[in-house]
Amino acid sequence: MKRAILAILGTAAGLVLLLSFKTHPASSSGTAAGTGTGTGTGGDTAAPAPSESSSGSSGTGSGSKKSSASTTRTVTGDTVDTRWGPVQVRVTLKSGKITKVETVQVPHENPRDQEINSFAVPQLNQEALAAQNAQIDTVSGATVTSDGYIRSLQSALDKAGT
Amino acid sequence: MTTLDERAAVRRPGTDRRPVRARPEHVLIPIALGVIAVLALWWHDTPAVTGFGDWLTNAGRITGLLAGFAAVVLVALMARIPALERGVGTDRLARWHAMGGRYMVGLVVAHALLIIWGYAVTAHTDVVHQTGTLLVSYPDVLMATVAGLLFVGVGIVSARAARRRMRYETWYYLHFYTYLAIALAFAHQFATGADFMTDLAARVLWAGLYIVVGVLLVWYRFVMPVRAAFRYGMRVEGVYREAPGVVSVWVRGRHLDELRAEAGQFFRWRFLTRDLWWASNPYSLSAPPRPDMLRITVKTFGEHSGALSRLRPGTRVFAEGPYGAFTAGRRRRRKVLLLAGGVGITPVRALFETLPAAPGDLTLVYRATDWSDVVFQEELRRIAEIRGATLHYLVGSRRDLGGDPLSPAVLTRILPDLNAHDVYLCGPDGMVNAAKASLRRAGVPRRHIHHESFEF
Repeated sequence: MKRAILAILGTAAGLVLLLSFKTHPASSSGTAAGTGTGTGTGGDTAAPAPSESSSGSSGTGSGSKKSSASTTRTVTGDTVDTRWGPVQVRVTLKSGKITKVETVQVPHENPRDQEINSFAVPQLNQEALAAQNAQIDTVSGATVTSDGYIRSLQSALDKAGT
Repeated sequence: MTTLDERAAVRRPGTDRRPVRARPEHVLIPIALGVIAVLALWWHDTPAVTGFGDWLTNAGRITGLLAGFAAVVLVALMARIPALERGVGTDRLARWHAMGGRYMVGLVVAHALLIIWGYAVTAHTDVVHQTGTLLVSYPDVLMATVAGLLFVGVGIVSARAARRRMRYETWYYLHFYTYLAIALAFAHQFATGADFMTDLAARVLWAGLYIVVGVLLVWYRFVMPVRAAFRYGMRVEGVYREAPGVVSVWVRGRHLDELRAEAGQFFRWRFLTRDLWWASNPYSLSAPPRPDMLRITVKTFGEHSGALSRLRPGTRVFAEGPYGAFTAGRRRRRKVLLLAGGVGITPVRALFETLPAAPGDLTLVYRATDWSDVVFQEELRRIAEIRGATLHYLVGSRRDLGGDPLSPAVLTRILPDLNAHDVYLCGPDGMVNAAKASLRRAGVPRRHIHHESFEF
């Protein structure tokens, strides 16, 4: 019995120790912009996808960067390859303000991805609208997707020149 | 002429090799390294843990990975690998297996609950709904759930209390469900395991580990015994009554020297009669093995051992083995005390004859509660005489003998230089534990006490 208790406590302590070494605070708060971008580019697997052309083509109707600030523009970000699959974000801007963010593609290979995306994507969209930039928080439980999302969003905003 | 041939055969390289013995650390260190490797896999694959749900999910992942590793280790311990059987000892392997098995069932349960809870927290659903989603829409999770329930079931059945109320064979065959459980649980590791889905190298290594252990298992638990059955052609030579309820069975066979069996070891015996063919039971050799003959001695308290007294000469016998580390290989010192309790005399009797010792260096203390239980009196007396060994009987109930019959005082009265001895100890669990404690108090270091329990 003593041994059983020791085994349980030992395992629990080991788990807590391991997990706490891996715990990072959610990637950024609105004020600490520096850490935000740091985490955004710090994802381990993905290199920015080279598929600029495809992202450009999907801009519907009003794509030119030279158009005046008052028009509505849609810019599609880079495809970011994450561990679970590609993530790509499309941003709609009006007078330089982000009015809409949607995902063009997110990982959907397995039910876990679908489950995660069903809550993570709306939350990320909301955060992006609120922050008006790409320095947003990682969604708990959806670290990988959040990472890809933030990077794709950043690339879209870079293209839009905001 | 035949003797000459036999000698030539024994000298042949290959049969003359000393048996390989693994030491406990040869098993424990690889297990520890494996655990570290599993944790490293998780560490490498996990970018960061954020939030409560992620904590739970990752704890679930770690416990799942460890359970998957534990399953392989537990099977490997029971694969009857000769180097482990001879070096570590069957009883110790069985104890490790039982301990590890309980731990693994705990890991499996923790894994399931943590994953459900963790997924529910991150997906903002309740656990009931999440359990349904997991079962229905996650690939192979339903199978794995069945596997988990099987593991828990086998765990409950194997719990010490339940085992006493159950026939050894029932328990033994129920245990085979773990193979089914391991097979059922395998698919979900690759189909949904975050560490394997996207990592081919990890999948290859993991599958390789399972395959290697599977091959070892099939080889040593199936192929080798079948081969041995044909090669050695064992048959019952005769059954002799040693004492009320105690019989010796002589088994004749061919090429038995190739088994390299040692005094103190045991085989798992299967007697091919209509009533007994399905049961395989461990019994120690009660005489040093001969190239043509083996002897076991069995106390007939169980249903199975009772039927042994009715065995007919000529009955076919399958014997798996030899197993056990209760041999001269454990010896560390010149002087040896053999301490036998009840039917634990059987392997001790074989050691008494064969353990190398100068006259005066070997002592046998034989503990029994009643003279009618004492076997081999004549044989033991003769061996003692020929070898110049000392033979002591401690017979009678506790009350008759006036207190603990194996107290440090009694033992040191028999052997004043007790703590200069290696002690080989064999008997029922209660007696072994009492004797071990008593020997330790008498100043015999733990590493000089070699014991074997025959209650697996």
